[in-house]
Amino acid sequence: MLCTNAFDEEGFLYNLTDWSPDVAAQIAASENLQLSSAHWEVIDLLRAYYLAYDSAPAMRALVKYCALHLGPEKGKSIYLMSLFPGSPAKLSSKISGLPKPDNCL
Amino acid sequence: MILHTLNAAPSSSAFADCLKTIAEGDAVLLMGDGVYAAIAQTEASRVLEATKATLYVLADDAMTAGVLNVSAAVSSIDIAGFVALTETFPRQQAWY
Amino acid sequence: MMTAVTKKTVLIVLRHSPYGSGLAKAALDTALASAAFEQSFDLLFMGDGVLQLHPGQDSRVKGFKNLGRQLASLPLYEINHVYVETQALARYNIDVSKSPVHIQQLNGSEIRQLMTCYDHLMGF
Repeated sequence: MLCTNAFDEEGFLYNLTDWSPDVAAQIAASENLQLSSAHWEVIDLLRAYYLAYDSAPAMRALVKYCALHLGPEKGKSIYLMSLFPGSPAKLSSKISGLPKPDNCL
Repeated sequence: MILHTLNAAPSSSAFADCLKTIAEGDAVLLMGDGVYAAIAQTEASRVLEATKATLYVLADDAMTAGVLNVSAAVSSIDIAGFVALTETFPRQQAWY
Repeated sequence: MMTAVTKKTVLIVLRHSPYGSGLAKAALDTALASAAFEQSFDLLFMGDGVLQLHPGQDSRVKGFKNLGRQLASLPLYEINHVYVETQALARYNIDVSKSPVHIQQLNGSEIRQLMTCYDHLMGF
């Protein structure tokens, strides 16, 4: 369980290295989400994305990246919406411990 | 046709890059440090003239820099003249 | 009533090194923001701008974002037209053949032609 001072005012982790699967569950719980294997698939992918591109994806890039790596069925905004309601790119990045996407318009 | 706004001294890479893309029919507006390319009898003003683009210098910037001996090929304009140029040339590239 | 949205074509001209100023980052942000609005601007790297494509960048020691890696994500934003000045690549001996982004090389006169294909130019 991480202290609240590890997060910014919007609930994003300050330090990528503070992240762990338990922390992901903690952030998810604060957003009223229970993480399933479908969530984890996207979380793992987001962490790989961050390693590859040194940035968190905006929605468009997230959808395309999911399509490339999880198949066309999951590379759809409606699918990501069902897992991470509201603003999927922002919420999934938050749970994955990534900084807030800075081109999240 | 392109309106080039050149805001860098003649020794800069901005000046060199700009030169590569100027063609006849373009306009070049010298502003900021770009005004030094308007000095008469210099290599910089000669190469600009050779492009056959129409050349302008922003009067206030030239005055500030003390560039009074402006090449005869360069017309002096004010901000209103600049605005008028942007209406003639919707495509504008800033070099700085 | 439906109103037709006319798309303006825009070329972003990148002429500065990746970490020497904030210009390279600003250009990248502009490109990514354009994609969010389904505008997909095209990119031209010329002069020192080609240094942004230098392989092997590692900016962690400086605490900066790795611009080279961020550029690699451009295809995911449907930014597929990336052009680069051949002479500038040669000046710095930069090999873009292994770049994750498909890059088209242009000489001086081709760059001029390219620029006149767009409604607007944005210089960074």
